[in-house]
Amino acid sequence: MADLSTSVAGIRLENPLMLASGILDENGYTMLDVIANGAAAVVTKSIGLEERNGYSAPIIVEYGDSLINAVGLSNPGIDNFADEIRIAKKAGRPVIGSIFASDAESFTKLGMKMQEYGCDAVELNLSCPHVKGFGLEVGSDPDLVEEIVTELKSKIKVPVFAKLSPNVSDMIEIAKAAEKADAYVLINTVKAMKIDIRARSPILTNVYGGLSGPAIKPVGIRYVYEVKKETGKEIIGVGGITTYEDAIEYIMAGASAVQIGTALYTKGKSIFRDVASKMNTFMDDEGFSRIQDMVGVAIR
Amino acid sequence: MIKIVAEKVRDEAKNVRTIFFRWDQEVRAGQFIMVWLPGLGEIPMSLSYIGTPKAITVKAYGSVSQALVDMQPGQEFYIRGPYGNGFQIDPGRKLLIGGGSGMASLLPIADSETDAIISAKTKDELIFTDRFPENRIFIATDDGSAGFHGFPHELLDKLDVSVYRKIYVCGPEPMLYRVMQKLSDLNASAEFSLERTMKCGIGICDSCSVGGLQVCKQGPVFTIEQLRGNPEFGISRTTYSGKRVFLNMK
Repeated sequence: MADLSTSVAGIRLENPLMLASGILDENGYTMLDVIANGAAAVVTKSIGLEERNGYSAPIIVEYGDSLINAVGLSNPGIDNFADEIRIAKKAGRPVIGSIFASDAESFTKLGMKMQEYGCDAVELNLSCPHVKGFGLEVGSDPDLVEEIVTELKSKIKVPVFAKLSPNVSDMIEIAKAAEKADAYVLINTVKAMKIDIRARSPILTNVYGGLSGPAIKPVGIRYVYEVKKETGKEIIGVGGITTYEDAIEYIMAGASAVQIGTALYTKGKSIFRDVASKMNTFMDDEGFSRIQDMVGVAIR
Repeated sequence: MIKIVAEKVRDEAKNVRTIFFRWDQEVRAGQFIMVWLPGLGEIPMSLSYIGTPKAITVKAYGSVSQALVDMQPGQEFYIRGPYGNGFQIDPGRKLLIGGGSGMASLLPIADSETDAIISAKTKDELIFTDRFPENRIFIATDDGSAGFHGFPHELLDKLDVSVYRKIYVCGPEPMLYRVMQKLSDLNASAEFSLERTMKCGIGICDSCSVGGLQVCKQGPVFTIEQLRGNPEFGISRTTYSGKRVFLNMK
C-alpha cells in the first residue's frame, strides 16, 4: 500500500484531495459531510467583510460535465461565519478559510478573523472572474497583490495560500508578486459565457461567469507546470479534476495536493474516496511509495 | 435550456395558477425543474402533473413567480431538469399531507387509494380540493375559515394513520417538522419533500443544504428516518447570502 499522505506549507493531509472553494462549503454541516466522504481538507466559500447576496438566479449553466457560474461572491460576511468553521472543525481535519476583499487592510482583517476562528490556513481569492472590484480585478495588479500578501503574512501565523487566475496575460508576474505566500493555488475559473439561442439571450444574470470542470483541466495543468518550473514553490492544483488520472497528472506537473470542486456535480461526494483508492492502486502498480515521489516528476 | 410553450392555464386560488405544457420527458412524482424567464430570473418548481400534459402550479411570491401566474396560453418559458430524487411510491393506501402550495408536488402521487389532508392559512388559499372525492379529503385551515381549525399535525390526532401504508408530506418546514414529530411518535412510514433556498439545482452551491444533505440533489424527498435527528431540519437554515438563521421551532 502506497502512502497517500502529503503536506502543504506544513499542513499534514491524510491524502492529497481537498474540497475546492465555492462548492458545498458555505454550511458547516455540509463541510463535515464532505470530510466524512474522504476529503483530506476543505476550503470554505470565499468570505468578505460584509454580507452579500450575490447575483440572482440563473447563477449556473451546465456545459456538459463542466459548469459556468456567476454566483457573485454571495456570503454571510465574516462576522456571521464563525459557527460554520466551528462546525466543520469538529471533523478534526484542516479547514482553510477563503477570503476576498479589494485592499490589503480588508484582506488582513479577514485573515485575522479566519485564524481566530480556528482555520488552519487562509486562501486568498485573487481570481474570481465575475465580480467588479474583487477577485481578478485585484489579482491582476501585481503591486496590489504584493502589498496584500506582504501585509497579511506580517499579521497572521497560519499559512497563506494565493489562488491565482488564468485570466491574466502573465501569471508568472503575478505569482512572483505573491511569492511571500506559503503556496499557490492554481487555477481559478476561466472567464466565459453562454447564450441560449432560442431565448436569444445570455443565460447567466451576470452575463459573464467562470468556466470550471474538465474543459479547463489542460489549462490548469499548464499553469501548475509552468509556475512550479519557474518558482519551485509549493502548489495546490485545481481545475477539472474528475478522475484519479487527473489528480496524478496535476501532481506530476508539480502540485503537492489538489482540490476538487465541479466534479461533485457529476460524481457526488463519493468522488474523494473513489479517487483516493484508485490513486493508491496506481502508485502500487507504478512503484511510487509516497506522493512526494510523484510531485513534479514530469517537469523537463 | 429547454423551450416550453404554455398550452393551457387554470386558476387554483387567488394568485395561484397551474400552467399545462407538453414536454417529452419522463419525470417522477416529487421531482422538480428550474424555470427561467429571460430578463427576470430562475426559480425551482415542482411538477404538479407528470403525464401528458405536464404542469407546474405557481403561487405568486416574487417577480418570476408573479410573471408565471400572469402567463397566458401560447407564451414561452425555459426550463432545465428534471432534478432531485422524487418520492418512493409504495402500493397500498396512501395519505398526502400538503400545506399551501406544497400540495403541488404531492398531486402526482394521488390514485384511487389516496386520502389527502389539504391545509392552508385560510380558505382562499386551499388548492386541489376538487381533485379528490369528498370522502377522501380532510381540510384544515390555520384560521378555521374552512374544515378543521388548526394545523395538520393537530388534525392527525383525529385520524387513524395506521391504515396507511405510507404518508407523503410537503409544505413549509415548520409544518413538516411538527408532522414529522407526530408521525415519529406514531411509528408511521413517511416521506417529506423539503423546500429551502435553492440556487443551482444540481448539488454544488450549498444554499439548500440541511444537515449535510443537498435538498436539490439528495432530496428534495427525504424519509422520516433521514430527518429524525438531522442537526438542521426544523432548527436552522441558510439564507440567499449563506447566513444561518434559526427557525425557533423547539
